[in-house]
Amino acid sequence: MRPQLLVMACFGLLLASNVWAGETGSALKNDILRAEPYSDSKSVGALKRNDKVDILEKKGAWLKIKAPKGSGWVRLLSVKRGATSKSSDVAGVLDVASGRAGTGQVVSTTGVRGLGEEELKSAKFNEEEVKKLEANSVSAADAKQFATAGSLQARKLEYLPAPKGGAQ
Amino acid sequence: MNRLNGLLPALLLAIALPAAAFDLGKVLEGKDQKSGLSLGKTSQEDEIKIGREIAGNLLGAAPLVKDQALQKYVNQVGRWVASQSERSNLPWHFGVIESEDINAFAAPGGYVMLTKGLYRKLKNEAELAGVLGHEIGHVIKKHHLKLLQKTQLLSLGAGVLGESVGKDNDSIKKMIGSGAEICARSLDKDAEFEADRIGVILGARAGYDPYGLPEVLQEIGHTSKDDSRVALLFKTHPHPDDRLARLGDAVGDRLDKISGKTLTERFYKMKD
Repeated sequence: MRPQLLVMACFGLLLASNVWAGETGSALKNDILRAEPYSDSKSVGALKRNDKVDILEKKGAWLKIKAPKGSGWVRLLSVKRGATSKSSDVAGVLDVASGRAGTGQVVSTTGVRGLGEEELKSAKFNEEEVKKLEANSVSAADAKQFATAGSLQARKLEYLPAPKGGAQ
Repeated sequence: MNRLNGLLPALLLAIALPAAAFDLGKVLEGKDQKSGLSLGKTSQEDEIKIGREIAGNLLGAAPLVKDQALQKYVNQVGRWVASQSERSNLPWHFGVIESEDINAFAAPGGYVMLTKGLYRKLKNEAELAGVLGHEIGHVIKKHHLKLLQKTQLLSLGAGVLGESVGKDNDSIKKMIGSGAEICARSLDKDAEFEADRIGVILGARAGYDPYGLPEVLQEIGHTSKDDSRVALLFKTHPHPDDRLARLGDAVGDRLDKISGKTLTERFYKMKD
């Protein structure tokens, strides 16, 4: 590979692994900021729920963030990325198309379909579509072949226990 | 080695489970005995019949997207993820349905559907695997079946859900109610959190990046509550932020050494 190509490939890889970097976010829970992206790394600060943070870097399941009380690494599940957007323009257009705009009621069944309570309640059984759905099924053996083609390797992992404090 | 030791009982359980007929009495044992009702048994065969009826009604509201390559792709990913569960032998069916809403549905016996609107939000195969894994979680834990049973217990007593289930379609229709209204009902929050935990693990077992499902939750969390496309999803599920936080608590350091593939290149792009 020519050096320029190699550099470009590396840069591409860097971009792909750093889609979070440069974004802002907020803390989903209290957590410890760590010096390195490891659970036994020393604490360098504390993160408080709802803290606004800047995301500096992502490494595996860890994010390096700048929080009000210092910078450090936390697991990515502790951070909600970005800010909630207001009703987007796209959604607005879709609402008009599906007849939902304004009234909050579906007034038209043509165009873009909504799938709310009313539509579900009044739905009638469609044998032809179920048959199609069933005909699309893939055997376990074929699925395995598909996985192999994508270099996916099955591995053993235990289910996650319910966290303490839950009702279960 | 610790992990392997702990896995053995789980594996034995996984082998034992599909063979056992589904015993409604057992599922609702606590309540049964208190109320003195006997609910009889629902076999896997009956479970599938119930699911087929619900799936057919859902498809009546929103048919399959007419894109054969898409439907095949979703079945390949879904079947591979389902193969990592203890109910690998169910006849699993996956479909993308014609709706701009952002939602996904599961029905008993192995029927899983997601909307075109949700599919459009996905960026790679690991995310699809996570979403399907969540729905597969509902199926293997029989969450909807339990919801139906609870309702039945309250409204009609044991009659309809007893031995007659599956013997004629009318009793199934009576049980699932009007159309696909079951798909518009909420499971309890813990069932959703449980399905999230299962979705993450099934995706990881299948060789994918375990953070596919959390990434989708991040994405959906950015959607405004006023956006009608998420109205039903937000009504029937805990907020994505709560789901992420709960997942974070459950995951802890358990997945620190687990990475996997996202397969962004192979992810099927919809035609429209």
